[in-house]
Amino acid sequence: MIKINLKVNNKDCQLDVDDSLRLIDVLREHLGLTGTKEGCGVGECGACTVIMNGETVCSCIVLAGQLQNANIETIENIEKNYTLSRLQELFLKNGAIQCGFCTPGMLMSAKALLDKNPNPTEEEIKEALEGNLCRCTGYIPILNAIKEACDK
Amino acid sequence: MHNIIGKKVTRVDAYEKVTGKAIYGDDLKLAGMLHSACRFTDIPAGKITKIDISKAEKMEGVEAIAMYKDIPGKKRLGPIRQDHYILVDDEVFYIGDVIAVVAAKSKEQACAAADAIEVEYEPIEGIFDPAEAIKPDARHIHPDFKSNIVVHYPLVKGDINKGFSQSDHVIQREYRTGFHEHAYIEPETVTAALDPTTKGFKIYGSIQNPFTTRKIVALFMGLNLNQVNVLGSTLGGSFGGKDDIINYMACRAALLCKMTGKPVKLTYTREESMRESYKRHPYILNYKVGFNNNGLLKSMKIDIIADSGAYSSQSFFVTWRSVVQATGPYEIENVQTDIRSVYTNNSYTAAFRGFGSPQIIFAQESLMDEIAAICKISPLDIRKINGFKQGSVTASGQKLSEHKVSLDEVIEKATEKSTYHKKAEEYKNLNLNSTRYKYGIGLACSYRGCSLGAEGTDTTSAIVSVQADGSAYVLAGLNENGQGLRTTFCMVASEVLGIPLEKVAFLEPQTGTIPDGGPTVASRGTLTGGNAVIDAAQNIKKTIFNVIKDELKVSDINDTVWENGFISVKNNKSIAPISFEKAVENSFKAGVNLSAYGWFKAPEVSWHEETGQGNAYFTYVYGCQIAEIKTDTYTGKIEVLKVTAVHDVGKVINRLGIEGQVYGGVAQGIGYAILENFSIQNGIIKSPNLDEYLLPTIKDIHEIDAILVENEDKYGPFGAKVIGEPTLELASAAINNAMKMATGKYFYQIPLTLERVCLGNDLVKPSRQSEAGLSTKKRKQAPRVSGVKIITPSNLKEALELKSDKYKIISGGTDVVIDLRKKNEPENLLNIFNLPELKSITVSNNEISIGSAVSVTDIITNKTIQKHFPMLVDACSLIGSKQIRNRATFGGNIVNAAPCADSAPPLIAYGATVLVQSKNGKREIPLADFIVTNYKTQIKPDEIVTAIIVPIPQKKFYHSYYQLGRRNAVNITRMSVGVIISFDNKNLIDDCRIVSGSLFERPQRISEIEKILSGKLLTETLISETEDPLHEIIDKAIGKRWSSVYKTPVFIDLFKDVLRDIIKKNNG
Repeated sequence: MIKINLKVNNKDCQLDVDDSLRLIDVLREHLGLTGTKEGCGVGECGACTVIMNGETVCSCIVLAGQLQNANIETIENIEKNYTLSRLQELFLKNGAIQCGFCTPGMLMSAKALLDKNPNPTEEEIKEALEGNLCRCTGYIPILNAIKEACDK
Repeated sequence: MHNIIGKKVTRVDAYEKVTGKAIYGDDLKLAGMLHSACRFTDIPAGKITKIDISKAEKMEGVEAIAMYKDIPGKKRLGPIRQDHYILVDDEVFYIGDVIAVVAAKSKEQACAAADAIEVEYEPIEGIFDPAEAIKPDARHIHPDFKSNIVVHYPLVKGDINKGFSQSDHVIQREYRTGFHEHAYIEPETVTAALDPTTKGFKIYGSIQNPFTTRKIVALFMGLNLNQVNVLGSTLGGSFGGKDDIINYMACRAALLCKMTGKPVKLTYTREESMRESYKRHPYILNYKVGFNNNGLLKSMKIDIIADSGAYSSQSFFVTWRSVVQATGPYEIENVQTDIRSVYTNNSYTAAFRGFGSPQIIFAQESLMDEIAAICKISPLDIRKINGFKQGSVTASGQKLSEHKVSLDEVIEKATEKSTYHKKAEEYKNLNLNSTRYKYGIGLACSYRGCSLGAEGTDTTSAIVSVQADGSAYVLAGLNENGQGLRTTFCMVASEVLGIPLEKVAFLEPQTGTIPDGGPTVASRGTLTGGNAVIDAAQNIKKTIFNVIKDELKVSDINDTVWENGFISVKNNKSIAPISFEKAVENSFKAGVNLSAYGWFKAPEVSWHEETGQGNAYFTYVYGCQIAEIKTDTYTGKIEVLKVTAVHDVGKVINRLGIEGQVYGGVAQGIGYAILENFSIQNGIIKSPNLDEYLLPTIKDIHEIDAILVENEDKYGPFGAKVIGEPTLELASAAINNAMKMATGKYFYQIPLTLERVCLGNDLVKPSRQSEAGLSTKKRKQAPRVSGVKIITPSNLKEALELKSDKYKIISGGTDVVIDLRKKNEPENLLNIFNLPELKSITVSNNEISIGSAVSVTDIITNKTIQKHFPMLVDACSLIGSKQIRNRATFGGNIVNAAPCADSAPPLIAYGATVLVQSKNGKREIPLADFIVTNYKTQIKPDEIVTAIIVPIPQKKFYHSYYQLGRRNAVNITRMSVGVIISFDNKNLIDDCRIVSGSLFERPQRISEIEKILSGKLLTETLISETEDPLHEIIDKAIGKRWSSVYKTPVFIDLFKDVLRDIIKKNNG
């Protein structure tokens, strides 16, 4: 067992967890944040993407023992006071969601990009989302939603 | 005119999905819930001689272990033929068979116990080739069914021999298609809980067809249907895939639930999912076709063998659709089709979006282009001459007169919208001036029977219930799989009742609260379910009308208009409209029932089993897709630039939803055509996760133009037909036809992998040494991280004090965690990711020192590195994905020494050295020597790589780098080549460094070639002089390897092109 201190969605957490746990297990099982999804367990599909210290990571390949003092943001933190963010609204409007399983990861990758670069090129958007697989939408509505989010 | 039908409507279930609040199967937690794990077979075929659970049952947390003998009801099940062992008895039939299933307090305890179940076998020689399985003397895989042939469908129309004798040409071609994995992003999960009310179970999870799950669980547990209530969770994609497998997982969970009295969850990892789940059938298709000089098809003989794998499952229905549609949308006088589905010891195969049509369309539509070429007519003309027209008669003798036959229309629209002729001309001209890249455009068209057809009873159900305030619920006997069915049904109810969509809510039904609506398959959701919703809503309308008709002073409901929440009299403004709410209030006061069942029964269809004649489906859809491609003739890589997809859908209900169906279906079709290679050799899966089974990424899908043609169908809700499956089935043939234009070659097998395009055949990788050495007992059943102890030192000194062979270093973890999942020995980790001493990039006059824990992202974005080492930046940008680069460290990429490590070749070119430290001191080793061979370096157990030091070039270098991957992102580098060259003042090559990755046994410079180039003028002549020596060097080093027949010529071509790139840069 290890003790970890971390910040999740702006809240400080102190946890005693098994060394074998991964960040995704800490979120889903210890903190009840089930919005983050596991699709492959090997960092290939991006369904488990969260923002860690300002950068996207696959939470399935980060061990709990590496979380000391980390700042984590998950899908649960995007909607504020029952109001969707513009990016979420645009996902709805553009039909960027079908089964929805990849959606939390997609949104976190898109948010991390836009937080740093509010006006990315199409190439930069694709770069940011290359590690997020979607099997339903053919990516086109997702790309359109993010493009619209950066239109001034 | 409609109010809402045909508009772009946001999904009714979008909010919960975009906030992470939707509850998927694995998100569910029940009080006292146990977790479970399967003990799979170790071999694909064999008799079980011993199962020993004695160790497992004593393990901590274990509450039950279920096996064959524990099954209370039917032990073998299946959708049509009962041949499937949900828990095997004394024999295994494929690598996904389950021998036992364990329930324990935690997932880890269940998995550990499953690992501890010991099984001994007497192996049987497996049959993995369907062509072998079909031979009369082949061993019967299931002797009780007396043949390996699961089903044989014949079809005879006219006289093929007469047809062939009347033909100017007769040709014969064989096509092959591969296994295809659904790869829904959500792996399967199911939870079973006791239901004391019924003395049965409640079943939750990722369930595509709740009524099927109910039936299978009831049979398995020996219960009545009304004792099993299935409550599906939000489904993370299915595409036909979460049917049989989820039913069998539900059976196992229910059995454990009964044995323990507690709720039991069974969730799969991706590897377990790919292991047990069914795939799309691979087909071997033999087409013999007779035709005249003018392109008229006279006769066609089709023989197809479908690999059913270990169990029959849906093979009966999948192959039946194939026999109906095997000629494509062409009227041919004489046809004989025989399709046989056979048992093998491969993964079993069943329903997957397309359902027996993508295979035949690939073959048939590729063949049509070949026939056109022989007749010297265009691909459009061959289809115009033979294509179905209104009143045409299909191969099964069905006259197409009950719906609009729109084949010509969709083809014309596709050619017009894609500017087919102009593009074909453009590409032809481009190809004249390009040696490496070639372009092509190709088309494919299809007709597709809607819904189940003569497969079975085609009925479905819905409930519409209007509440006292005028709001309404819709429930359906069909399932939301992510395709948008809830939204469609709410729109239909809203349209019929004339109330705003916001007033209609969809309730996730339970199998106990609505009649069996049949399976959500065959693209039948909108067509059949929409009709059932209309039926229910109409019934309510009639009831309300009877209450308010006196007030409206009309006697016929057809004289009223129901829209925008009001009911008014047609063409009569003098009578005040009544609000829907008021009408509902009055109805409630009148004591009438405003809840109604809706039912839809499809029109009659027919089929004669012996002759293959009949009216197979009650209506059909038509589609045409045009693909534009660019292919790299050096490597065989294909880029699909654009797909124009035209589909006659009858009527658009939700424009947003239907366009999404087209984009998604086309993307899956592209994957099927060029990337997705489910590899199973001798029954063992070689592509067990999404790192080897490659789906298209966002960088692989370019433009898709979705064009919808609307010819309303008399049987469809508002005229709507189907869309889900037709979108997937056309891309592979269109791409294949475009490839012919680009390369001048015909291809007969998909997926069009690099090797198939370049060499015309597959390359089979022999079993890995490491795999052969690892005994099956040592392998984890469910890959997972377990048995880890992790220590995080606070500084480098502390880390060096600790480092010995007792500890394995973890930094970014992007390789280490993946390795941990496979191992089942405990591991002690020393976490160096955050050590400040390893995090910096320091620059002095003549060198740069990069800390080993610097992330790849930090390398790429560092200005100094960008300026002095552009080739390193190019290469590192191609490592993994954004998420991986954010986490993976520079030192990790080096010390892991994977042959495909992208940073190593450029670093070797730049003359990098590796700084390693131990508590006793430090040493600096040239990187070229540090890496000894694949996955092996000079590092000693007490050492840590602390920095990579690279001398800053003191002269101007030109560079060029090429990484070959199978797709455009997140690749395991197949091969790479990098060159940096400086020129003297006479423009002669001064300093030249050539490096390769994934070619030799380690990344290295190719000094012999560097010597040839040095001191000379870089010209095309000089480049060609390197060819023979390079060939010799590679041949000597790797000539005997399985991959060299591909790698050698490709590397030489890439190398030459990299040099040409440098000439260009030097001139420019």
